[in-house]
Amino acid sequence: MRDLPHLIEFEELLQQAHNALVRQAREEGNKALGYTCYFMPEVLLDLPGCFSVRLRAPRSSYPDMATYYMSNRTCMYGRCLLERALEGGFNFLDAQMATETCTVTCRFQEHLQLMDIIQNPDFFCEFTDVPFKKNQNSIEHYEKQLRAHVLDPLKERFGIDTSDEAMLQAIAEHNEVCALITEIGSYRKLEKPTITGTEFAIIQLVSQVCPKELILEQLKDIAQALKVREPDVRPAWKCKVVLAGSEEDDPYFVQLIEECGALVVADRHCYGSLPGREQIVVREGETPLRAIARHYLETSMCPRFMEQNTMRERKQYLADTAREYGADGIVITQMKFCEYWSYERTIDSLILPRDFGIPVCSIEKEYVNAAVGQLRTRFQAFVESIEFKKLQKGAAG
Amino acid sequence: MKKVLLKIAAIAGAVYGLLFAVFYFDLDGKLLFYVWEPLITKHYDRMKRKDNTKMPYDMK
Amino acid sequence: MKIKAVREKMKELFVVEKDDSAGRQKKNLKKTLRDFWYGKPHEERELGKLYIGDTGLYKHREWRGVKDTMYYFNMIWLYNYAHMVTDIMKFGGGPVKGVVNFAKGTWRYRWMGQTYLSVMHWFDRGLEGMRGPILRGSAWHYRAMVCETIRQFQEMFASDKNLHGGRESEQWKHNIAHNETVSGSIFYGFHDVLEDIPLEMIPYFVSCHVNNHTVLNYIDAAQSIGLPADPCPMCQAEYGLFVLDDYPDYAPTMITSNEACDGSVATSILQDWFLNRPLHAMPQPMRYDDPLVQEHCQREIEECWAFIEKHYGVKFDWDMYVKYAEQQNKLTAFEHEKWDVAANTPYYPINGVAQALYRIYYSQDGNRPIWHETDARVRALMNKTVKNKINCLPKTRHRAIAWSCAPLYYSNWCTWAYNCWGINCVINMDSLMFDQYLRTDTYEHALEDLAWYNEKAPMRAMAVGGHEHILSLWDYMERFNCDMVIMYDQLQCKGMQGIHGVFEDEFRKRNIHAIWVPHALPDKRTVSRKEIRQIISDYMTTVMREEPLDPTLVDFDDDASW
Repeated sequence: MRDLPHLIEFEELLQQAHNALVRQAREEGNKALGYTCYFMPEVLLDLPGCFSVRLRAPRSSYPDMATYYMSNRTCMYGRCLLERALEGGFNFLDAQMATETCTVTCRFQEHLQLMDIIQNPDFFCEFTDVPFKKNQNSIEHYEKQLRAHVLDPLKERFGIDTSDEAMLQAIAEHNEVCALITEIGSYRKLEKPTITGTEFAIIQLVSQVCPKELILEQLKDIAQALKVREPDVRPAWKCKVVLAGSEEDDPYFVQLIEECGALVVADRHCYGSLPGREQIVVREGETPLRAIARHYLETSMCPRFMEQNTMRERKQYLADTAREYGADGIVITQMKFCEYWSYERTIDSLILPRDFGIPVCSIEKEYVNAAVGQLRTRFQAFVESIEFKKLQKGAAG
Repeated sequence: MKKVLLKIAAIAGAVYGLLFAVFYFDLDGKLLFYVWEPLITKHYDRMKRKDNTKMPYDMK
Repeated sequence: MKIKAVREKMKELFVVEKDDSAGRQKKNLKKTLRDFWYGKPHEERELGKLYIGDTGLYKHREWRGVKDTMYYFNMIWLYNYAHMVTDIMKFGGGPVKGVVNFAKGTWRYRWMGQTYLSVMHWFDRGLEGMRGPILRGSAWHYRAMVCETIRQFQEMFASDKNLHGGRESEQWKHNIAHNETVSGSIFYGFHDVLEDIPLEMIPYFVSCHVNNHTVLNYIDAAQSIGLPADPCPMCQAEYGLFVLDDYPDYAPTMITSNEACDGSVATSILQDWFLNRPLHAMPQPMRYDDPLVQEHCQREIEECWAFIEKHYGVKFDWDMYVKYAEQQNKLTAFEHEKWDVAANTPYYPINGVAQALYRIYYSQDGNRPIWHETDARVRALMNKTVKNKINCLPKTRHRAIAWSCAPLYYSNWCTWAYNCWGINCVINMDSLMFDQYLRTDTYEHALEDLAWYNEKAPMRAMAVGGHEHILSLWDYMERFNCDMVIMYDQLQCKGMQGIHGVFEDEFRKRNIHAIWVPHALPDKRTVSRKEIRQIISDYMTTVMREEPLDPTLVDFDDDASW
C-alpha cells in the first residue's frame, strides 16, 4: 500500500509526552491537562483554553526510582508514568485530572499530589470519583463529580469558560475528531483492509496525546488519502485479529503482532477507539454535561463495571466487534499486575471460544516490552492455528 | 445409693483425668494431624467434582 | 529394633528435651513447686521446645500454673469442644437434623472437614504464653467467633442444594448470599425474615485462619483456569472455591460489592459466571471523603434493598433496622471503651490476635447475640483489670501498631512476638475500620450513617480514597501510644505496594522503628511463618540490639503446621 500522509510526523509526536504540538499549544497560552483513563472525559479537558494529554511514557526503560516508591509488584504502566514524572518529563503539565479507577494509576497520581514532583508552580492534581455502574444514579453522581472536580477547578484556577455553550463547542470539536477517526478506522472492516493496525494505532494515539485542533487538518488528509488507497494485491497478513485488553499505548506492539501475520483490525483496549471514538449525542432536554457523563458511562466497556448484565454484555460486545470487523481471532493482552484484566482475560479466554467459537490468544505483558521473542512465538503459533482451522474448514466445506 | 454415687464420681473422675491427659499431651491434635487430616484429605482429593467451567453464560 | 523405633517415636511425640540448666533447676524443690503452682517465669518457659518438629503440635501443652492450666483445660478446651457439639445441634435445628447436616457438610466440603476439628489448635496458637485475665478475655473472643461460625455453616448446610439432592427448600428461598466484604449491617431491615450469610467468610476466611492447608487448594484451582498468580490471593481463593466446586448453594441471589479493591471487583466477574443466578452489585464510592459522593452511596444501598424486596417479596422494615442498628451501636460503644483502655493503660485483657480477629469478624458480620454475650464477659474482666491495675502483658518492651492487611495464615504472629521479644501488638489497622455509629432518629440520618459505615469497611477505609487515609498511621500511633510499627507488606496488594516508598521515606524522616513483614495474605508458600519470625528477630537483634525473652522461640520450624 502507498504511504499515508503525516504518518512519519505522527510517529515522531509519539516519541515523547512533551511533543512539538503540546509545546506549541502551551506557547499559545493553553493549559495542558494530563489524565490517564477513559473515565476522565477528554472532551472536558479540551474546552477552549486548555487541552487534554493522555499520559504515556514512551521509550521507557526500567523505572528504578518509581520501583522504589511503588515496588516491583505493581503495574509497570503506573510505575513508568511515575518514573517519567520524577525525571521531569511531565513538568509541562498544568494540572492532572485524576481518577481512582484502577489502583496503580491512582497511586501514581497520588504521588503527584503528595510529593513535589511536577515543577510547575500552578500545577494541581484533582481526583474525580467514578461510579461502578451505568444506572441513573451513577450518571447523576458522575455528572456532579465532573462539575465539582473538573469544571469548577478549571474555571477557578485557569479561568476556563465552562458554560454550556463552551461545552457544546467542545463536544462539536470532539465529535469532528471522533468522526474522522471512526471513518479512518472503518477501512479496517474491508475484506482487504486499506489501513494496518499499526497505522491506525499511531493515528488514534496521536489524537489522545496532542491538542486536537492542531491535528485536525492532518486527520482530514489521512481520511482523504484512504478513500483512494488500494490494498496490496498480495497482502502480507494471514489472518485478522481484534486486539483487546488493558492499557496499550505502544504502536510497536501492534506492529509486532502484524509482523507475525495477524492484521489488527480492531482495538478494544484502554487506549483504543472501540469504544472511545463514538460521537457524543446531546439528547433533547439534556445539558451538555449530563450528555457527557451519560456518554462516557454508557460507552465504556471497562471490566470495572459490576452490574451483572454489563459484565456479560462485554463478552457479547467483543464477539460482535470481531464479527463486524471480520476478525478470525482475538488477542487479549493484559498488563502484568492489572487486576481487572487478569480476571476479564481469564473469562474471555474461556467464554469466547466456547460460546462464540472465536479463537483467543491470551497474553500477559509488561509496559516496557522486553519479551519480544516469546511474544513473537506466541503470535506465530496463534496465526498458524487459525490458518490450520481455516484449512480444516475449507476441507470440510 | 452412696455406692452408686461414689461409682459415678469415680467414673467421672477417671473420664476427667483421661480428658486431662488428652488435653495435656495434645492427643487431640496428634490424632487430627496424623490420622484424621490425611484420611479426609484423601477423600476430598478423590472426590468427583463438577466442572464449573461448563456453566452456561447467558448474555442477559 | 521395632521397640527402639516406637521409643524414638514416643520420644519425638511426647518428650521435651531438657538442657543442663533445666536439670539443675529440677533439683530445687521449692522452685519446682512454685513453678508448678504459678507456672514458670516468662524467661524460663522455653515454649519453643514444646513443638513436635515442624508440625506446630505440642509434645505436651504448656503448663501455665495450676490456676491457668485448669482454666485452660476446663473453660477453654473442654468448654469449647463441648460447645462445638452443642452448637451444632442448637444452630442446626435440633440434635438429629443438626448432626446429620453437619456430617454431610463435613463429608462434602474440604474447608469444613479439614478445618473444623483443628479449631482448638487455633486457640492454642493464639493463646500461647498467655496468663490470667488476658488468657480469659482473648479466649472468650475466640469462643464467640467459633460460635458464630457454627451458626453460619449450619445455616448454609441446612439449605444447601448440594447436600439435599438439589432441592430448593423454603430456607434456601429465604437466604441472601453476599460477598464476605458486604457488611451484615446492610441487611438489618430484613434481619428477622431473611438470613444473610456471607459466601466466603467461613469457606475461605475463617477456615484459612484455623487451618491454612485448605486454602492452598483454592488458590491453585483459581490459577488452573488461566488466572495469573499475581492478583490478590484472597480474591483468588474466593473464586477458587467455585472452580473446585466447593461452595455451598444456599441462596437464590448474590450481593457483591467493590470492597476492598480492584481484585474484589474483578472476582465478581468469575463468581457471577459460576453462580449463574441474579447478582446485584452494591459498590461504594472510592473518594469517600468527598461530601458529594454520599448521596450516590445512599442510593446504591437503597437499590440493593429494592433488589432484595423484588426477589424475596419482603419489605424493608424500618423498625427492624432501628432495633438492630441500635444493638450494633452498643457493640461499637464497647469497642471504643476497649480502645481507650488499650491505648492508655497496660490493663487491656485482650491480646493482639484476639483483638484483630474478633473486631473484623463481628463488625463485618453485623449484630448477633453472641457478640453481646461476649462483650458483657469481657467488660466484666476489663473492669477488674482496670480497677485492680493488673498489667496483662507485663513483659511488654514495645507497644506496636500493626498496619495494612495481615497475614491470615499467621495472625497469631503477635502472640509469638510478645512471648519471644516482648512486642505487644496493641492495635491493628483493620480494627480501626467501621468506626461509625449508626443514627436511628430519622431514615435520612440512618441512611447517611450506613453509607459512611460501609465506606469505612476493612482495608478500603485506609487503602482507598486518598493517601491521607493510609498515612493516618502516625495519628493512630500517637493515639495508641505506640513506639513501633509492624508494617504488613502484602506482596500482592497493589494499593499497598503502590505507596511503599512513601512509607519508607516517612519512617526514616520520623525516626520510627518499623518492621516490614512481607506476606501473601492466605498463602504461606510465598513467605513462610518462619521467615516472618526471622525478619522480626533480625530486626530486634541487629537494629534494636535486644535479647529474646524466650530464646527457644527465635528459631523453630512450623511449616507443616495448621
